[in-house]
Amino acid sequence: MEDVVLSIRDLHKIYPGGVHAVRGVDFDVHEGESVAIIGSSGSGKSTVLRCINRLIEPTEGVIELRGQQINTPNANVNEVRSRIGMVFQSFELFSHLKVLENVTLGLRHVRGMGKSEAEEVALDVLERVDMLERIDAYPGNLSGGQKQRVAIARALAMKPEVILFDEPTSALDPELIGSVLQTIRGLADEGMTMVIVTHEINFARDVADRIVYLDQGKVAEEGPSSIINQPKTERLQRFLSSMHEDKISEDIGNELVSTQTDHGYVPDGTGNRPRS
Amino acid sequence: MNRASPGIERIFSWSSIDSKSRVVILVSILLICSIPHSSGQETITGWNEAESWTDHDLNAAVIHGELVWVFGDSGIVRFSEDSGATWQNHTNLGDVDLISADSYENSMAVLSTDGIIYMKDGLESEWITIDSSQTGMKSIALAGEESLIIVGNEGAIWHYTEQTWWNRTTSFTENLHDVDFNGADDGLAVGNAGTILATDNGGTTWDYREAPDPESSIVSVSYFNPYRMFAVSDSGQIIYSTSPGGFEWQLREIESAGYNTTLGIDISSIDVVSSSKILFSGPNGYLGLSLDQGLNVERNILPSGVNTSFNDHAMFDYVSGTVVGDSGVILFTDRAGENEDIGFEIPDYNNFGEFVEYADDMLLSGFIATIKIVLFGIALGFIIGLILAMMKTAPTSLKNLLESYPTRQIKGLGIICLVSALWLIYSGLRRFPDLQLNGIEYIFTPVGDPRGFAMFGLGVAIFVISIQFVLADEKLSGPLFKIRPLNAIATVYTDFFRNTPLIVQFMFIHFGVRLGMRIQELMEGTFGDPGIDGIDYFFYGERAFLSAIFTLGLNSGAYQCETIRGAISAIPSGQMEAGRSIGLTYIGTMRLVIMPQAIRICIPPIGNEMVNLVLNSSLAMVIGYSELSRQGKLMIATTFQIFSAWGLVMISYFVVTWTLALLLRRLEEKTKIPGLGISGGG
Ligand SMILES: Nc1ncnc2c1ncn2[C@@H]1O[C@H](COP(=O)(O)OP(=O)(O)OP(=O)(O)O)[C@@H](O)[C@H]1O
Ligand SMILES: [Mg+2]
Repeated sequence: MEDVVLSIRDLHKIYPGGVHAVRGVDFDVHEGESVAIIGSSGSGKSTVLRCINRLIEPTEGVIELRGQQINTPNANVNEVRSRIGMVFQSFELFSHLKVLENVTLGLRHVRGMGKSEAEEVALDVLERVDMLERIDAYPGNLSGGQKQRVAIARALAMKPEVILFDEPTSALDPELIGSVLQTIRGLADEGMTMVIVTHEINFARDVADRIVYLDQGKVAEEGPSSIINQPKTERLQRFLSSMHEDKISEDIGNELVSTQTDHGYVPDGTGNRPRS
Repeated sequence: MNRASPGIERIFSWSSIDSKSRVVILVSILLICSIPHSSGQETITGWNEAESWTDHDLNAAVIHGELVWVFGDSGIVRFSEDSGATWQNHTNLGDVDLISADSYENSMAVLSTDGIIYMKDGLESEWITIDSSQTGMKSIALAGEESLIIVGNEGAIWHYTEQTWWNRTTSFTENLHDVDFNGADDGLAVGNAGTILATDNGGTTWDYREAPDPESSIVSVSYFNPYRMFAVSDSGQIIYSTSPGGFEWQLREIESAGYNTTLGIDISSIDVVSSSKILFSGPNGYLGLSLDQGLNVERNILPSGVNTSFNDHAMFDYVSGTVVGDSGVILFTDRAGENEDIGFEIPDYNNFGEFVEYADDMLLSGFIATIKIVLFGIALGFIIGLILAMMKTAPTSLKNLLESYPTRQIKGLGIICLVSALWLIYSGLRRFPDLQLNGIEYIFTPVGDPRGFAMFGLGVAIFVISIQFVLADEKLSGPLFKIRPLNAIATVYTDFFRNTPLIVQFMFIHFGVRLGMRIQELMEGTFGDPGIDGIDYFFYGERAFLSAIFTLGLNSGAYQCETIRGAISAIPSGQMEAGRSIGLTYIGTMRLVIMPQAIRICIPPIGNEMVNLVLNSSLAMVIGYSELSRQGKLMIATTFQIFSAWGLVMISYFVVTWTLALLLRRLEEKTKIPGLGISGGG
């Protein structure tokens, strides 16, 4: 197909310790599509994402970005990475840089933009994630939700062809999750191509165009978001019911409304413990 | 928005100090400044006070034969037969103020304010009165035994010769203050608005000379000889002419007054007593002496209690004479008034004050020497530490370097390497027998034949690795492919410097490698001819200095490397991944993301390293570098004050390290960023 952005073929990863974390994963991501990868802990979701971004080297398999294989020693890793955005579970903002500088860093040093041009782009994406008010704050003074939205802005600023989210909300307090999911949902509506590893089943169902269910390093079930309501395999069924036991099923919409005001959070400034 | 303030202001700015600290700083400065300076030396006056038997102002002094005469208000006249030590009364010359006097061979003349001149035309003769009928005259000069010149207000010049008064007033009508003759023909008169008039015919005609400063009011002139003419203005300018006839005058740039053209003090009279020695006098107890034609003028110390205004000198020669002033003050000297320094013949170093007096210069130079090597050592050490730390953390392994090449090429490279390694080992080994070592002694080969050992060592290393190359498989899975070359080099370096004593490193590098000398030779001519200071001094100065900097830097670098490496590994690995995920290169992420954070968190331990470096710098004494400890040893050699000497040295070290620690603490606070480092809770 023409509009395949990312295609993964027979991906294997054996970690140095001998753990066979990914055992032959195949899937495609099409232009403007959001794919949610779900699966129990240890099923290899993060491993797949990190292989795509070449943060780790796959043991076997082919990864193609717009039809061009990227997991060969000859591919320009930095160029490939700048075309693939990545949002981490633990935000990984650069704590010595202010919010605005976090977003402009890549623009200036990878894209080679001047300061003012980069800031223009940065302000634009920061507006999209609703973080314009805090552009002069250090990450240490932001709430978790705000940090994650800045991290999304940082990835967005590079105008990537696809963004990978690795459990973007699982390090957040429940009341902060909504604003981040809201932001991602906004991106989906704008037609951003995304791969989202998440434990928010309801969110995956509402936002993702397609669900990939990983189990023990293999794709156990794949299909439109409706498979969450009507799982075909027994394993997915069991997985989904275990998720529901953990979590009181909430209406995701209500949750979003109740946490809209996340950016009102103001920490004490330095975050330092008072000294005697 | 808060604005980042640049440079030093981030570390120190007065406004950022709280009021309590400000008080402490100000009080400390005050205390330091107010400590009285105790001097082991005493300076005493070169002038003695004589009893003049009058309280009237004395205005003029003149030598006449063997006698020195002084004249003052209310017709006061005194003379001394013993060069000014004791004075005798002479009959008053009437109730007039006597303001100026001069002598020529046997003649002597005195001018009074009402224009009457009293003259003696022989040493034994009586006073003759000559009435000029002029008022407002200021100064008198004899141009021969029977010719006299008086000058005064509005440019008046009157010449008395052949029993007649002649008006020699010129077209220059500024007030004249002084006239002086050299011999009977050549004379100078000076006055307001930079007026200088000269005559070469005994005062018959006067010509104008241009003064260097037309504003100055020239109050006194001294015509010593045709090559030495000096004058002073009331504001303390010294002007001089060295051209016969006094055609050109220049303003002296006075070295002792910071190359200003004025002494910065009011002057009323100048007296040139030799071709280089000049005496000055002025109001408010000023007497000055120059031994080099006014380039340097030293203020005379006066006998205690004397603080009068001085008016005139009379010098027999260039050492003995008198000076007179207001309120009947007469001082005499036999050393031109020069201050006399009286040092202690045998300094008593048991007296702590005297010991410190002796020691503080040495201590200061040691202090500066220490600071110099410490600063450069710290900078060098930090740079080396930074580079080594980056090398040690660099993940690039042989595998990474080689994986894009096909296995066949790697095998080929392996064979080439194998052959050259064997050659290196062979040629290295072949040199060793020349050293004539036995058995275990071969451990010393790196010293006996560094080049041979390098060939041998390198050969062995390449040999081992190239075997792995030859046996390489598709995946480059052999253990030696995991070798990280940069890390290996850095590890050898740090292991070496951390496993040998610093004192031995100092001696090896300075006396053995002779690094200081080599650098010096290398740099020779790079910055032009050896100069005195600046970058020249850096390279041409002491060799021990260069060696000391490099030893300290190389050694400290090895330790700082470990500290910085620790800080780098304290940065979560996700930061590197985040940097790389936006497309930054490894080096770019290191530079822009990892290092800025790592440096911040390693400021405290690096500070410790720097303090260590200061303390270690004391070992530079073994290579003869004059830093603090060596100065301490030298102090003991002359004073035998062991406790005091080492005590002072210790305090000096403490001052350096403690200040350094304070600065670093400030730096740490100023560069602190929320969420980074141990106390960050964000
Ligand atoms: N660096 C590593 N070295 C060795 N084994 C690893 C490494 N990273 C992950 N693994 C193993 O690989 C398997 C898959 O891990 P992965 O992190 O991909 O799971 P996951 O699906 O992301 O789980 P979670 O939902 O908990 O994040 C796990 O068994 C894990 O222990
Ligand atoms: Mg994971």
